[in-house]
Amino acid sequence: MADSAPLWAVFVLPVLLLVVALVTAGFDAVLTAGARGGRAGSVREAAVRAADPAREVLRQLVQQPRRTRASDVALARIGAALLPVAAMLAAVVLPLGFRSVSDLPEGIVWFNAMEALAWAAVWLAGWGPNSTLSLIGGYRFLAQGLAYELPHMLAITTAALGAESLRVGQVVDAQDGLWFALWMPAAFGIYLLSAMAMAFWGPFDQPAGRDVAGGAAAELSGADRVLFLGGRWLLLVVAAAFSVPLFLGGGYGPWLPGWLWTVLKTGAVLAFLVWVRRRVPTVRMERYVELGWVVLTPLAIVQALVVAVVVLNR
Amino acid sequence: MQTSDWQPVLLLLVLVVAAVVLLHAVSVALRAIRAPLHTGPFTGGLEPREHPLSRFHVRWYPVTMVFLAFDMEMLFMYPWTKVVSAIGTAAVVEMFLFLGILLAGVGYAWREGAFRWS
Amino acid sequence: MELRRRLLRTAVSRPGVLLAVSPGTTRERLAVEAELVRRGWPCVSAPAEADLLVVLGGHHAEESDGDAGSDWAANLWHAIPAPKARVPVRDAGQVAEALDRGLAELRRGEPPQEPHQEDDAHSHRGEHGEHGDHQHGDHGQHEQHGDHGDHGDHGHNDNSATHEGHEPGPHEGHNGHVDHDGEDRGHEGHNGGHSGDDANSGHDVHSGDDGHSGHHMHNGDDTHSGHHMPGNGDTHGGHDGHAGHDMHGAHGGHAGHDMGVVAGLPMADRADDRDGLRLDRLHVPLGPALADWPAGLILRVALQGDIVQQVSAEAEGSASPYPPFWDEPWLRALSGERVSHGEAARRLCAAHLDSLGRFFAVTGWTDMAARFRHVRDRALAGADAAELRGLLRPLIRRAERSRTLRWLTAGLGPLTAEHARHLGVTGPALVADGDVHARMRVWLGAAWRGADECDDTEALDTAQVIGPRGRVDGPVPASLALLDALPGLLEGAEFAGARIIVASLDPDLDELAHVPAVGMAHG
Repeated sequence: MADSAPLWAVFVLPVLLLVVALVTAGFDAVLTAGARGGRAGSVREAAVRAADPAREVLRQLVQQPRRTRASDVALARIGAALLPVAAMLAAVVLPLGFRSVSDLPEGIVWFNAMEALAWAAVWLAGWGPNSTLSLIGGYRFLAQGLAYELPHMLAITTAALGAESLRVGQVVDAQDGLWFALWMPAAFGIYLLSAMAMAFWGPFDQPAGRDVAGGAAAELSGADRVLFLGGRWLLLVVAAAFSVPLFLGGGYGPWLPGWLWTVLKTGAVLAFLVWVRRRVPTVRMERYVELGWVVLTPLAIVQALVVAVVVLNR
Repeated sequence: MQTSDWQPVLLLLVLVVAAVVLLHAVSVALRAIRAPLHTGPFTGGLEPREHPLSRFHVRWYPVTMVFLAFDMEMLFMYPWTKVVSAIGTAAVVEMFLFLGILLAGVGYAWREGAFRWS
Repeated sequence: MELRRRLLRTAVSRPGVLLAVSPGTTRERLAVEAELVRRGWPCVSAPAEADLLVVLGGHHAEESDGDAGSDWAANLWHAIPAPKARVPVRDAGQVAEALDRGLAELRRGEPPQEPHQEDDAHSHRGEHGEHGDHQHGDHGQHEQHGDHGDHGDHGHNDNSATHEGHEPGPHEGHNGHVDHDGEDRGHEGHNGGHSGDDANSGHDVHSGDDGHSGHHMHNGDDTHSGHHMPGNGDTHGGHDGHAGHDMHGAHGGHAGHDMGVVAGLPMADRADDRDGLRLDRLHVPLGPALADWPAGLILRVALQGDIVQQVSAEAEGSASPYPPFWDEPWLRALSGERVSHGEAARRLCAAHLDSLGRFFAVTGWTDMAARFRHVRDRALAGADAAELRGLLRPLIRRAERSRTLRWLTAGLGPLTAEHARHLGVTGPALVADGDVHARMRVWLGAAWRGADECDDTEALDTAQVIGPRGRVDGPVPASLALLDALPGLLEGAEFAGARIIVASLDPDLDELAHVPAVGMAHG
């Protein structure tokens, strides 16, 4: 049975997430540099490349503040800051092993609500600077949201249905024997797609794409940029980590302690996502929306129906 | 019980907001030049002819309508997950009939080309 | 303080580099890109994330910034937040030196200075810096006001600056770093200015505050108001720097008058769209300094949302004394020099790999783009055919087999062979006879053949002068035909699609910028 961690866990959680996000971003940076300039010649070189994201943070922080003409500074600033805040708040229901910061009775709904704040965040950050390219980026995310959000919600509901509970701890407990990923593969696959889409990352990075010079982030600099792009990594990490209690049996596993299983599984999911990013071009929403609604939504509903029938006959 | 569940959430909110403020403060302390730079929007080096803020042509407007219908439906689906086996077959039949009707709507929207806008 | 200085030095030790590439500088661009990879410095796509502006092409950096041609480079420079440095790269051989110099300048952490350039824009910067320093406290207050939507003060100071500075002198100075279009634009929207003015009546409060005028001199906005002739004085209120905020405050204003002039720029006006609706339309110049964009290309587009409605393509207007890098072997062969077949094949391969790198970058397949660029750099560095084949084979296979890529690019920018011939296209786009995916496949195939033949030592057959973009000896440059094809393909495409279409044609403006010596092109 999952229980809530002591209050000091509140201080540990953000640090832990930041570390995981930095490690993931560093791993990604090593692979990126390897693709462009050939594999790193030495461990030292690889380490330097892995430190790039951290150096990038420092580089942004020393920059002069920047305002575009007639921009709405407050709006952009709120948008940028909302992203990491939402990601952190969503993470309260993430169990490390079997303990989460707060195992809310409606944890799944809470996660969903926090993750949906990204819609507002990206759009605000895109609208605020009064710039064509960032405006396009902001609106791209709304279109993206319309495409990924519904299959995503159906997928997490399916996991809740399998446990007949919205409490994340109970969803984990229901996977003591068999992981949900094994008997709800469609829901799991859809969840992984939407995890990348909600963090507008990898094949779904159109809202912050290079073709629009960074999209919603095009005019952000300084702390705003750090918050926005860092928040994106946090969101990715949190979304990937949430797939572990939902579909991959949480802390359950042989031999090792629960917390270690959670970390290992999260790492595996993140590594998989980083790999996928390298294999697929950016998915444009004008094509993906159709797939999302005509294929993924019915698929998710059929998956939910199968699970519902199983639950009835249990 | 209820309050103790939300207490850490509130604490975390305060903490994260404080961290955001702190990051801005660090940035102010480190920055090379503190007076802001005023500049035009970037589209490749030349200036646009109008302000970019505009009534954006949202070509996926029909999709938002379909989405809203489903989003409302999700409100029912969340609590429904908790009572499926308690209520039994009727719960499943009713929910999926409802979803089926909505899917018929999706099918119609698809035929009308709502999901294709380029 | 010591800690702060050290942190600053560390922070800029891996600067974000923004490239300002003019036509005719492909050789330098390739050298810079390769050097950046060696150093692990990121090549950024917007000034907001840049520290170091690398201006390619000596002929530009030497001219004054008042020249229309390098206007955009000056704009870029002013859009970069400090700490920043700017280095010109005139020669592919001096890239490392130039970057070192830029880094040293960044590390010194002095306010940006331009040793070799006494341009107007720059003297303004200096001024700006001074004002910024001793007015710092004031400025903080401004920001506070900003959030409350009370921006009258900024605006009014703008006014006073404009009124005082009406003599022609200062205007000339401003000309340097503001798009010349701005002047027309300001006039167009002028009549609407009054309405904005009313919303702003609060600005009198700070009228005594002259100190700020200097600060705003730098701002592109007041330049606009400056260009309006005296006698329009009372409308200037509508132009002031921060009226935009009032706009946000009262959205009724937005809906009410489309032609309202805010901060020197009008709001978008409406126009019919393709579905028969009347919607806001933006006129946006794209390029020339976008990332993964043909060097020197400027597209003036009318956008509705992210739909490209009208396009006119133009080349950034600088002439280059050098022959286009990608066509060089063929041009040399035409002029009678002995050029080996292998050399031309290698150049062709590298040119297509460069185009493919852009294409994949724009389609968002960053990993593929990076890999193709890696092979391109190897090809240009003289790797032998076996190595190139080994590097290319898996990439080509992956690109050709990717169903996602096919799904995402199919049907974009179709250009039939018939239409292409009619436009005068002679290169891969003609062979492809199809959409962007077909053009990509032609490039893949040609790059492969080029890699295969790049060790061939036979002399290049001058009867066969098809360069990477098409016929090298044609009456007009091959890329001109590609430029002509652009508007027809782009109209109605959405922004991302438009960028992919541009990347799939990848016109090489070096061909247009080159002023050939007599007898060179005997077409």
